[in-house]
Order: sequence, then C-alpha cells, then structure tokens
Amino acid sequence: MLGLTAAAAAHAADDPAPPHFTDATAASGIAASYDGEWQYMVGGGVAAFDCAHDGRASVLIAGGESAAKFFRNVSPAGGPPKFEHQTSGLELKSVIGAYPIDIDGDGEVDLVVLRVGEIDLMRGLGNCRFENANAAWGFVSQDAWWTSFSATFEKGERWPTLAFGSYVDRTNDQPWGTCTQNLLYRPARDKGEPQRRFAAPLPLAPSYCPLSMLFTDWNRSGTPSLRVSNDREYYEGGQEQMWRIPPGEPPRLYTEAEGWKYLRIWGMGIASYDLSGSGYPDYFLTSMADQHLQRVDRPQGGAPAGPAFADVAYKHGVTAHRPYAGGDLRPSTGWHAQFEDVTNSGLVDLFIAKGNVAEMKDFAAKDPNNLLMQRADGSFVEMGDKAGIVSFEQARGAALADFSLSGAVDILVVNRNAPARLWINDTPGRGHWLGLQASEDGPNRNAIGGWIEVKVGDRVQRRELTVGGGHASGQLTWVHFGLGPALEAEARVIWPDGSADAWRPLAADGYYWLRRGQAPAPWRPRAE
Amino acid sequence: MSGKAARGWLAFAVLVFGACAQADESPRPSPEAVLDARYRLVLDLVRHTATYSPPVASRAFAYLGVTGYEATASGRPDMLTLAGQLHDLKNLPKREPGAVYDEALTLDAALSAATRRFFDNTGPTGQRAMKAMDAKFSPGVEAGLPAGVVARSEAYGRALASAVSDWADGDGRNEIANMGFPLEYKLKDGPEHWRPTSAVALQQTPLLPDWGETRTFAMPMGASCDLPPPRPYSVAKDSAFYAEAREVDDVVTHLTPERKEIARFWSDDPMLSTTPPGHWIQIAMQVSDKLGLPVDKRVDLLARLGVATADAFIGCWQTKFEYDSVRPITFIRANFDATFTPLLITPPFPEYPSGHSTQSAAAAAVLTQVFGENFAYDDSSHVRDGLPARHFASFAAAAEEAAVSRLYGGIHFRWAIEQGLVQGRCVGRYANALKTRP
Repeated sequence: MLGLTAAAAAHAADDPAPPHFTDATAASGIAASYDGEWQYMVGGGVAAFDCAHDGRASVLIAGGESAAKFFRNVSPAGGPPKFEHQTSGLELKSVIGAYPIDIDGDGEVDLVVLRVGEIDLMRGLGNCRFENANAAWGFVSQDAWWTSFSATFEKGERWPTLAFGSYVDRTNDQPWGTCTQNLLYRPARDKGEPQRRFAAPLPLAPSYCPLSMLFTDWNRSGTPSLRVSNDREYYEGGQEQMWRIPPGEPPRLYTEAEGWKYLRIWGMGIASYDLSGSGYPDYFLTSMADQHLQRVDRPQGGAPAGPAFADVAYKHGVTAHRPYAGGDLRPSTGWHAQFEDVTNSGLVDLFIAKGNVAEMKDFAAKDPNNLLMQRADGSFVEMGDKAGIVSFEQARGAALADFSLSGAVDILVVNRNAPARLWINDTPGRGHWLGLQASEDGPNRNAIGGWIEVKVGDRVQRRELTVGGGHASGQLTWVHFGLGPALEAEARVIWPDGSADAWRPLAADGYYWLRRGQAPAPWRPRAE
Repeated sequence: MSGKAARGWLAFAVLVFGACAQADESPRPSPEAVLDARYRLVLDLVRHTATYSPPVASRAFAYLGVTGYEATASGRPDMLTLAGQLHDLKNLPKREPGAVYDEALTLDAALSAATRRFFDNTGPTGQRAMKAMDAKFSPGVEAGLPAGVVARSEAYGRALASAVSDWADGDGRNEIANMGFPLEYKLKDGPEHWRPTSAVALQQTPLLPDWGETRTFAMPMGASCDLPPPRPYSVAKDSAFYAEAREVDDVVTHLTPERKEIARFWSDDPMLSTTPPGHWIQIAMQVSDKLGLPVDKRVDLLARLGVATADAFIGCWQTKFEYDSVRPITFIRANFDATFTPLLITPPFPEYPSGHSTQSAAAAAVLTQVFGENFAYDDSSHVRDGLPARHFASFAAAAEEAAVSRLYGGIHFRWAIEQGLVQGRCVGRYANALKTRP
C-alpha cells in the first residue's frame, strides 16, 4: 500500500474547520435541467450576474435541448435564497453556456450565449431584459458547436475582443479529428478609427476542440494571453495551447522554443488563482482521472522566463482523480472548477463539478463534486462529504457566488438530465469577509484584465478580473475575499492599464465598489 | 463540410464502394472493403477508449483478427480453422452444408458484433459511431441479396462472433478496472526496482502488473520467450548499468531533429494514437491496400498480427514484472542529472524489456513471413497527426527503429531494447507457425 494514508493522518490535525452547506434548491425557486444526449454531453453552464442593479446575482441556466431559464434573484439580504423564474429574452434553445460581460459599456450587463449552432450576443436592456444584438454589433456568428469563450479589452480599444472555441463537426458520425475552427473577434476599424462593433473574425488555427478558454495575464506583462484547454478525445496532433495576442498584431501560439510544454489532457475547464502568493496566477485544469494544477516556472523565484508550467496538483493534493464518496472507485471526470474561500478563512478553496460524460463505463458513475479545502501549508483536503454537498448527478457548469448577500459563497451546480442544485452556505463560525467590485467609466466598465488585491497584515490575496474559463460558466458579481479573524483589511485595484490605486483601509463584512482614484464606496442592499 | 470532415461518411463511401460504382446500380462493398471499413473504425475506437492501453489493445486485435479470419476461412476449402491451434479455441460454429452465404455480409456481421463486444465500454461518441456504421454501412452490404442469404450470413457472422466472445471470456481480461492501475500495489524494496515516474495520482501503481499471466494465444505460455536478467543495477561509474544510463542521458541531451522525429513517430501513446499494436495493424493495412491483397490473405495477416502482438505483450509483461526494473528517469535523476527530462513521457510500468521493441519485432516477424525480408514500404500511419510518412527498407528495419526510438525518447536503456527485439522475434515464430492452409 502506498504511504498516502500516513500522509493524510499527519495532516489531519492541520485540517481546516469543515464548511457546511444545505440544499436549498426546492425553496429557492430554481428549477432547471440541462437536457439532451450526444450534443449536450458537454456544456451545461450557468451565468451569474446583476442585471437589476440591486447587488444580487441572478442566473441564466443553460437548458440544452430545453430552453435556457433565467432566474431573477430576489433573495432578502442575508436571508434564504429566493429566485423567480422570469421571462428575460434569454429563453433560447440549444444553449451550452453563457458568460456575462458589459460589451457596449453602457452599464447594463450583456450576455454571450454559446449554443449548438449560433452564438448570440444578448444586449442588456435594463431590468433584466435582453435582446439579440448580433446584427447591431456587427457580429456574424458561424454555425458550430460552440463550447468555450473568453473576452478581453485590448490596449487602446473601446470595444472588447472576444475569443470563441468550438468542438467537433457534429454532422460527422466519426467526428474524431474534426475539431472545427476557433475564432477571434476584434473591434472593427474604419479608416483606422475604432468602431463600436466587431470586425470579421480571425481564425485561431490550429483548433483542437477546446472546452474552456481564458484571457489571462500569466506573466504580468500587461497584455493577457489566451489559454485554451482542449479535449484530447477529439483532436489529432493537438495539445494544450496558449495564444499570444499583442494589440494590433495577429495572434500567434506560444512555442516549445519559448518554453511552452507539450501537454495533452481531456481539457474541460480552467480556474485561476494566485495560490502561492507570488503575484502570478496558477491554473487549475479539469480533466478525466487526474486534474491538473499548473504553476509557471520562475527561475530563482523571479519573473517567468517563458510560458513553462509545472504540474503541482499531486503536490497540493488536488488531483481529485477518484470519487471520495459513494463507493465508486473508478476514475473521476471534472468539469467546472472555481477557487473561492467558502469559510472566509483567508485561504481559497477549490470546487470541482464532477460527473460522468454519459454512461462511460470506465469512469465513475457516482462521481460527487469536490470541495477541496485549503490548509495553511497550501495543500488541500477533501471536505465535500463533511460540507454536505455530496450528490451523484452528472454535474457540468457551476457558479460559486454570494447569492443571498450573506457574506458567504453559495454553490449552484447545473446537472445534465437532472435538476440543478443550489447549496446555501451555512458554515458556523465563518471568518470575516469582503465583497468587492471594480468599476470605472469608459468601455471596460468592470476593469476586465485588472486585479483586485486585499491585504491583511503582510499577506496579500489577489484575483485577476477575467471573463471566461470555468466550464461554459461565468459570473460578474461581487468578488469575494475571506479575511479570517481580521476585522479590517486594505484593498486596491490594479487597473487594466497597469496603474495601481493606493491601498485603502476597509472594514470587514461589507460590500464596496472600488473606483479609480476614489475611496472605496460601501454598498448595502436596499431594504426589502 | 470541413476538410477533415471529408474523412467522414462521404469519403468513406467513396473508398468502400470504389470508383467503379455505376450511378444506376447499387454497389455492394467487397469483403476487402468491409474488412477495411470495420478495422478503421476499430482503430479509432482503440484510440478513443480509455482502457485501451497497448496490452489491452493487442488483446482486442487478436480476438478481432481471429473473428475476421474464421468468418472468411469457414467458407473456403483452402483455409484451415485456427480452432485447435490457439489456446482453448474450439467448437466454433460451422456453416450449413450446401447453403449459400455472402462473404462480405458474413464478415460484416461478425466484425460488427465483435467490435461491439470488445468496445462495449467506449464513450458516447464511440457508441454513436458503432451505431452509425451499422445503420448506414451494413445495409449497403446486404443490398440486393436474397432474404435467406442475408439472414443466414448475418446469423452465422453473429454466431461466430459470439463463440469468439465466449472464448475471450476465458482469459479473464474482460474488465480493466481503474484504467489498468491497481488500487493497491506493494512496491518492491531496493533502488533497482520500479518507482512511479510521474506526479499523476492514478499512475502511482504500475499498469496491469499481472498481465503476464494472461492466457496466451499461440505461444505456449507467458514465459515461453523469457529473457536473461537486465544489466545488474549499479551506481558504480564503471558498471555496464551506469554506462547505459549515461548513454540515455547523453542521447537525450544531444537529440538530433531526426532522432526526435523518430521518437515521436513511434511514440504511439494510448488515447492519442492507435497504440503500438494498432500502429502495426495500420502498416499491415497500408501494405495490403497497396498490393491489392485478396481478403483471404488480409484476414490471415491480421489474425497472425493480432496474435503475435498480443502474445508479445503477455511475454513482455511477464518479464517486466519478473525483474521490475527501474526506469532511466528515476536512476539518472537520483545519481547524476537531477534535471533529466526525457523527450517522451515515461510509461507507468517497469523498464525491462521494452514493450514496443518486443511487439514490433513480433509484428515484423509476421509481416516478413508474408511479404518477404526486403519488402520496402512507406508508413503513413501518423499523417493525420501531422507526422510525415517514413520509408523503411524492411519490416525488420522498422522494428529496429521502433525499438531504438525508446532510447531517443529517453525511456529505455539499450539492453531492454535489444532484448525486447530478441523476445519479439521469438514470439513471432509462434504466430508464424499457425497453419492456415491445408
């Protein structure tokens, strides 16, 4: 027997206090399912966003063959979560997933909706109403099986750049090796002048069937690159990819000569967070069997010399390769992943949505979602069972967010051919917390590409503000930071142009808007 | 439709039905075309079924090869059955004397059933592909045939596949749990023994440690082609073992572009290729197509090749776990180069002998017996993955290149490669000794 048991026992004394969640689905009003067979074996995302300017994260849940459903968050602040199923204009069929982003910078959140067929850019009209804006924004969608998305605002642009990943040729009975083209939509220019619409797309070729992509500033250069996680099941000659996308220049792949290392996985989801406190994000990549945690190589602890990443999942105890509950010992299948601090301890934890692709006999059928809690030494321990979130549906997308404005992160999971579930966080003795959003005037209102940093003592937590990643799921809502026992902290924004605000003191247990050069503005929910 | 998608049913139909198809008649695929179409699907399924590591793939190729062979041989007086020649293979169903069978349809029904049997565990796309082939291809095979012939041919093909399936049940290898990695395994003490070589949690135990005990096909037993021990483990700088480790480090450090290309060409990683035995099946198919071999020669070749590679993996695994040798990466990093990084990912099982070497030599022995010692050919197996075709002067030369590719890849010592070739040639002789003609 391997020596893992002894190692686990040695760690037991250092384990964090377990979180606790209660299944609040039935009472919450959320009733949705991601339905369908082969074309919907992937996808099943959820977008969480505030479309009512009331600080509450409403959700759009992909329906696959069924229509997507919008649920407006009407939860009383701090009370039990409450959602109302409303007509919003988002009731589209064949939806794989969705990501919120304010495309036109009007202060109303828009949605990018990935579908089997066409991509829909849905313009927010206010009060949680949406309309298709493809034509208005010069966006011409191609017909494909759209499975991944990310966005950035390139330097000097007043309009976002959108990257889309597509899967296989769905008309082919033997679709292996038929990965269809990924596309990059940049802002249009007319006689050199930037326009508020999209240009014809550029191919991101070669394309290798991505199920997740993320614009991220992996080397803190100020220019994000596009990480693409590809499904090895379908590509031929493929691998994981990272595109360098310099402003005004064509995209080009990072190469082996530059340090990029050949990696081939069943790439299904990307989550990022600076776990080591180095200032550089780590990337958690979901897959089948072993999950992966990639950390950039930094010679002598300095800046990265190139895009070379080492897999540190085994070292940190986050391979999550086999179910921890339910008695099914076959390898596990990971989808959406997200780093959040669910006990407000000051250390982020890791949630992974799990579920069999579709009756794959060699992989676990009873495959519970993971909730890996971070220890002080940086390793993780599984506590999904103690937390009360064990379930055996085929999970896909998810959103971890403070849905009930309680200062704690709740968990909403979308399941394939089964009801979505909402677990409300009722962990006793949680630590203190902050809920922060960065905002500025101009086209990039949510400071996508910037960073929010929170400092307690000399320890800094930081989160890159991104649109993309996960598995067909994105969110634009409060960025949550746990503070542990601290009653106050400092926070600042490093804006997308690289300028950093001064550190500002904040009292714990509150929500704040962070605006460039201004004192943090406290936000409180309106009285119901 | 994209360029790649052109490999789908349209291109497939063109290949299968051939350019001679007349617009005003319903062309029926030949037995050769049936064999080609079914095997191409199997190669895709091998690549895309998670349990199909090289030993498991070789087993499927052996049973499928025997199924295809018997489906054809049972209808020809000039071919002998393999029942009674392969271990525990007996009592195969007989054709009805004097009754009419269609050879293409019999073969299609047999291979369809066998494919479903051996790839029952494949994923949703593989299941969809198998259903689609049965729904769209098989009707063309039976088109225009009298109903009685259709029923009789399909029933016989299925009965044959069922009998082979029952035979396969007897080897105890139907279930490959945990992708072949045991949940518990006691590592042997001592630095000379295998240690996990990656930080992949699933691979902290070795792949299929008892595969060497699998029932063999033509070879008497797993140890029939046993080998001398590996070089004695030693950290002494003047030892043969240390010198071989130094050689691996030196080769990897100074890889030429051609050696890199060779290492990648023969990498044949599971889930990313058709695996090493599948690579040799592809070679056999390419050569058969080029020569326009008739179906009787093709099924004979595919059966022997399946048997040879399956026995090769059994024999190789028997030796691997007899000696349980350390991999180069473990020794080199521990003793003289902590940063040693092989070009290829080190496979998660003991080092000696090299599996690719063993099974390549066995496969080459079969192909050499059929096509001759100096049969030159081009191998385009990996063109779809962006690797150009390679030319070989003979099958033996290809096997030798496959073997030395593991040195270039940094995953084997030279002795394991050389002895793997010796073992494979021995295994190949058993497959070659099968009598298929009166």
